[in-house]
Amino acid sequence: MTVATDVNSADRARGGRGEIGAGRLAALMTAPAAVFLLAIVAYPLLFALYLAFHQVSARELRSGELPFVGWANFLALMNDAVFLLSLQQTLVFVALSVLLEIVLGVGIALLINEQGVRISALTRVLILLPWAVPPIVNGLLWSFIYNSKYGYLNVLLYNLGVIGEFVQWTGNPDLALYLVVIPYVWRTTPFAVLLFHAALQAIPSELYEAAEVDGAGTWHRFLRITLPLLAPTVLVVLVLRTTFAFMVFDEIFAITGGGPGNATWTAAWYIYRTSFQPPFEIGVGAAAAYILALIIFAIAYLYIRLLHRKVEYG
Amino acid sequence: MRRRSTAARIILSALNLLVILGIVGPLVAVVFGSVQSERALLSDVLNPLPKEVTLSNFQILLAGGPQGDRVFEQASYFPANLKFFPLAFANSVVVATSVTALTLTLGALAAYAVSRLPFRWTHAFMYANLTSRMVPIIVLMVPLYVTLRQLGLLNSLPGIILTEVGLLLPYAVWILTSYFAALPRELEDAARIDGCSRLGAFVRIVLPLSAPGLAACGVITFILSWHELLIPLVVSSRPESMTVPVILAGLVSDFYVFYTLMMAISLLGLLPTVLLVMLLQRYVVRGLTSGALKG
Repeated sequence: MTVATDVNSADRARGGRGEIGAGRLAALMTAPAAVFLLAIVAYPLLFALYLAFHQVSARELRSGELPFVGWANFLALMNDAVFLLSLQQTLVFVALSVLLEIVLGVGIALLINEQGVRISALTRVLILLPWAVPPIVNGLLWSFIYNSKYGYLNVLLYNLGVIGEFVQWTGNPDLALYLVVIPYVWRTTPFAVLLFHAALQAIPSELYEAAEVDGAGTWHRFLRITLPLLAPTVLVVLVLRTTFAFMVFDEIFAITGGGPGNATWTAAWYIYRTSFQPPFEIGVGAAAAYILALIIFAIAYLYIRLLHRKVEYG
Repeated sequence: MRRRSTAARIILSALNLLVILGIVGPLVAVVFGSVQSERALLSDVLNPLPKEVTLSNFQILLAGGPQGDRVFEQASYFPANLKFFPLAFANSVVVATSVTALTLTLGALAAYAVSRLPFRWTHAFMYANLTSRMVPIIVLMVPLYVTLRQLGLLNSLPGIILTEVGLLLPYAVWILTSYFAALPRELEDAARIDGCSRLGAFVRIVLPLSAPGLAACGVITFILSWHELLIPLVVSSRPESMTVPVILAGLVSDFYVFYTLMMAISLLGLLPTVLLVMLLQRYVVRGLTSGALKG
């Protein structure tokens, strides 16, 4: 946090001169945002906790009586192979996409940071475009690319001679999850590039010049200067992107709908299907949502600790 | 600056080209898909270039369906929801604009308090904001659905708007706080010595000076609101209150809609935010970095 830690004393003195006090003014100014925070996030979060410990499905919603069931919803989840599979696939999805985002992010950031290469100016201008594409559109456009009759992936690979006939890509349960990772990484890597690029620009060029005078080669300079100074940003991207990757929904929705079979069921998809499709097992869905939220919160906690230590460059 | 050898420059240029193709390729696929009929697309599958360039997919969409009894090449049938596409587009504009206006106003007020009037509880408020960004929206959807139903806000734009404001405000407060904190205090202090109230100094000095920060926060909020699928999907099922992402989501399980028509909708759906990023890139970049790194 870079905010100052004390209200300056002149403000305190003014409190007595008829002007509204700093404390009251701060309360008034934050009140609307706080109300929204309570109404749209805090209250529903508690409500969901209530639902997680009650039996809530279409039947109970009709009768209006929600019996308390203790940990039964959580126990049901632990015995539900589809839920465990969804969690497992979420972990694979998160690990793979975050790893790719960081590797590609650092690579592309280094590339666009090159001043001597003229075309990198164009890359710099275009790099943010995938981030601007709505996630649901991203899903649809890639399912068009993957299409088995005329999709451009088939066209490209066939023309290159890699495949002998058109392939039903998303129909293959061994490939489906990876086929969702690609679009997701395509859309989210620009954000990582952005942060890494900002961090690279903050590295003083004197460091490189001094290293060059000392006879350090390109690889050596990267290992000894760039990488260590990039490390705090890698950590931030790692944690931030991990928490968001756990919530992946739109691309799954558009490209595979969880299929084929259960091959691309992820945590958010499981919660959505359980809660909003017949038989509307809202209690179980809420319990699953809490498990997901707790996993993400453990990582968020790490992030807050990280910010506390204050990220500095140079 | 370091000098690269010619060989290194060629390799780096080639890598750049690869990245550019990777970025632009999928977007070109959307454009190619949207300007032809499915029949033309299928006529020569191995040639990726468009076999015809026609705007009829867009005409059908904007007219709310095929006109008259002319042969309809673009879609074997026209899903009922697509008749509402122009309305959904307007809804998306109304939602994103209202969400941006509300979020900026309330976010700026809160961010100013946090950056200039720090108390122990404003710190707690910031941590609450940070934490709430990590809450998966899916956790909140059932409770929000029930609550909005009780309030009579289901299937209404205000219901969508209020929900999105609540979820985007924490991010906005976070971004704006870092901008306000970076402004020099001296100008405000001078104004206050001249008799300006604190709120007056905020409105007359801090807000104009942080115009770039407000622009950054505003454009990011607009884009995230335009992208939002889950909230309008759960909260509004009536065609009258659908947004563009909801219309698109409705096409997913519909195997009879031609991809060419779907790409036309996709293109119209991604155009506003892609154009915004092209035009206001500088602000977006600064907003995203300050929202993630500082705080």
